Amino acid sequence: MVRIFFQRSKCIGCNACVEANRSRWRVSRKDGKCNLIGSKEKGEVYRVDVDEDEYQLNLKAAKNCPVKIIKFEKL
Amino acid sequence: MKKTNTPVVELLSPCGSWESLRAAIQGGCNAVYFGIEQLNMRARSSINFTLEDLEQIASIAKENKIKTYITLNTILYDHDLTLMRAIVKNAKACGINAIIASDHAVMSYAKKIGMPVHVSTQTNITNIESVEFYSHFADVMVMARELTLDQVKNIVSEIKRRKIKGPYGELVRVEIFAHGALCMAVSGKCYLSLHTNFSSANRGACIQNCRRNYIVIDKEDGTELEIDNEYIMSAKDLCTIDFIDKIIDNGVSVLKIEGRGRSEDYVFITTKCYREAIDSIHEKTFSKEKVEEWKKQLATVFNRGFWDGYYLGKKMGEWNDEYGSKATKKKIYIGKGVKYFDKIGIGEFKIEAQSLDVGDEILISGPTTGVIEENVRELRVKDSIRERVKKGDVVSLPIKTKIRASDKLYKIVDV
Repeated sequence: MVRIFFQRSKCIGCNACVEANRSRWRVSRKDGKCNLIGSKEKGEVYRVDVDEDEYQLNLKAAKNCPVKIIKFEKL
Repeated sequence: MKKTNTPVVELLSPCGSWESLRAAIQGGCNAVYFGIEQLNMRARSSINFTLEDLEQIASIAKENKIKTYITLNTILYDHDLTLMRAIVKNAKACGINAIIASDHAVMSYAKKIGMPVHVSTQTNITNIESVEFYSHFADVMVMARELTLDQVKNIVSEIKRRKIKGPYGELVRVEIFAHGALCMAVSGKCYLSLHTNFSSANRGACIQNCRRNYIVIDKEDGTELEIDNEYIMSAKDLCTIDFIDKIIDNGVSVLKIEGRGRSEDYVFITTKCYREAIDSIHEKTFSKEKVEEWKKQLATVFNRGFWDGYYLGKKMGEWNDEYGSKATKKKIYIGKGVKYFDKIGIGEFKIEAQSLDVGDEILISGPTTGVIEENVRELRVKDSIRERVKKGDVVSLPIKTKIRASDKLYKIVDV
């Protein structure tokens, strides 16, 4: 398992993560920032645990993120 | 100030933080511009305010009799429209004076709810017909930074001749960039940052690749091309203070200082210099000697070297020859504010790094304080006079203006 961390407040809504993995990232039409699907907020950081299979796709999302607010921790 | 026939010019300063807002006011701006949330061209590099901050910004502006404009000038996608509308609507409710827009969706919505619009330089206005087109939406238009002053002058006189008026019935006012960073791409429409780092300049996330040094290699034979050690894509900073009289004579109404991503001392110094320059034109005391002095002061804060931009039409571009700032002075963090003793005009600071000597030039900045520049006249630690204080000391020193616990203390040194 891998834990994804997402610092949502700094998101600029560019859609790059969505392009990398549509099943995990979706831009909110409410405030134009991205949502990490299935995540829970803790101390202003959203987090969700995913399988190794999904890790590569999210790694691409993190790499493409212009403001570098997607991080990981191997569990 | 003596009354003259010189038209009134608005000095518009950048705000990327509360500190900069205060610094712009202290420097003598007539108006400030700032971003709310992520939909502005400094989404990455400035702190950016939130919708909740709008009321406070408007109230500070009202108190200080300055105007406030929100930059909402990135390209917009469908998913941004709700936030865009929320920003424009809240801005109107809080009494913000205008929205600086480039996307037609913003102009259209703002017009619909009666919020004044200024057309951003991102729309690249370079001719009178474009001015006529946007006059259905906007009262102020920022010209493309690549125009010459003569071209700007022609546009201004054509606005008068054709009587081109904005939605509020006044002749359209022309704004130009007077000072600050220039972009290698026409009106900022650059793809470089997106290509290399997936980081779109047009969504406010430019990583400034153009400011770096590059080697050009001929792929066929591997020859390195000589480029005279210039940073071939990094333009020097625009500085118009030595011909600002011509700019005002040509009928430009608003002078914008670039730099929402820059620090509060930059905002303070540039605003102060341009304020003095504009006032001196009105007072008919504008002189070469004054220009020299202002240029010296402008060089003390972040800059990439100065040039006239494209306004005088001399060169196609003047490029930087080193990385980063050419500022002649830099600030070093020394410590933070503790409290202020009103009656005796003494500020107390905790020294957290380096040391401070009597005679040192210091800068204090904070979200409410803005910027204070002083020279250290006396240093006291627990009532004993010191020539020098070090890390760990709690020091009292005479300061004319109130300082606060949220303030930072810097030492200014020559580079």
